[in-house]
Amino acid sequence: MATSKQYKAIGEDLWKGRTEKINAELFALTYGALVVQLIQDYEDYAEVNKQLEKMGYNIGTRLIEDFLARSSLGRCSDFREVGEVVAKVGFKSFLNITPSVTHAAPPPPSSTRPVSATQQSSAPGASFILTLDENPLAEFVELPEEALEGGLWFSNVLCGVLRGALEMVQMQVQVEFLSDVLRGDESTDIRVSLVKHLEEEVPVGDD
Amino acid sequence: MSHHLFLLSPSDTPLYSLTHYSTKPAQTISSPLSSNLPTWSTSAFAGTLTALSGASSATQSHHVPGQGGGVRMGGGQDRHVIQMIANASLDIIEDVMRKDGTMYLKSVDKFNEWTVSAFVTPGNMKFILLHETKNDDGIRSFFHDVWELYLKTMLNPFHTAHSPIRSTVFDTRVRASAKKYL
Repeated sequence: MATSKQYKAIGEDLWKGRTEKINAELFALTYGALVVQLIQDYEDYAEVNKQLEKMGYNIGTRLIEDFLARSSLGRCSDFREVGEVVAKVGFKSFLNITPSVTHAAPPPPSSTRPVSATQQSSAPGASFILTLDENPLAEFVELPEEALEGGLWFSNVLCGVLRGALEMVQMQVQVEFLSDVLRGDESTDIRVSLVKHLEEEVPVGDD
Repeated sequence: MSHHLFLLSPSDTPLYSLTHYSTKPAQTISSPLSSNLPTWSTSAFAGTLTALSGASSATQSHHVPGQGGGVRMGGGQDRHVIQMIANASLDIIEDVMRKDGTMYLKSVDKFNEWTVSAFVTPGNMKFILLHETKNDDGIRSFFHDVWELYLKTMLNPFHTAHSPIRSTVFDTRVRASAKKYL
């Protein structure tokens, strides 16, 4: 299991050497135009959140392959490591930001059966919180009144990306925003909680 | 000494206005902001006439308010005078624009003691500043600052070319810049 420093180095290396870059303003403007258009089309902020998440999901399912191929990282041993890799390697290589990670153990099981640390951190209910100190998607953005009241999560596509990517590696997770500086909160927080590990499913039609 | 700033869109709709009193920098603005955008209407015009006639001590109503510009701070009537001056200068600005290619047009108009300076952005946004004293360099820097702040506002996806600028961040920064340069 690589250490946190090693992950940082891998992430840095991927960003510098092996990715094509585009202009950050163009990226932010494109995403902004997308969100504004969705708002005009759906006119309901909850629905817009959902659509952003769905779009993110589609991106995430494809992104994970690219990510694993480039980083040549193996399987993570537990959910804690998943959090580390996502923050230090994933976000770094795609958005050039390194959110900080806060792990949270799952709520204690009702039985008093002792559980090993690794198992516990991979038990359903384990979660981690990513705190983004900067958000390239939301450069220059200020939410208007209606969006604030309507509950829009501007960068909700990130939640979808995480959900889609982790689902492709057999983890079903629930990803949601806890706070957003665009909304006036102190920081931008995303919580990723493990729902369950997915078993390999035999495709229908095989014997 | 006070300054009045107006930002006008390419179609001459007012997007932002600010009054700045530079004698007392600590006391910034008591006066109306973007929530009180001037809308040009006939009643405003009538108000202007009364302001013009009322402010001068003499009975003639043509020319304008005597010393001190008759600017009673925060008085609603005087805002009409200011707005009238600003709007009247638009024609002149357009004339100068056609001849001159630069962005900062210095003083385009003089109205008693009020000088009107203008700045035209490449996107045809007009920034109009009414001021009493001569301060070319400071005003030029101020306009540049406002221009940069305006650019950042334009990059907000929720902002369209003709929507009034209501952002408090923009407002604070413009005031800070005004304090610095004016």
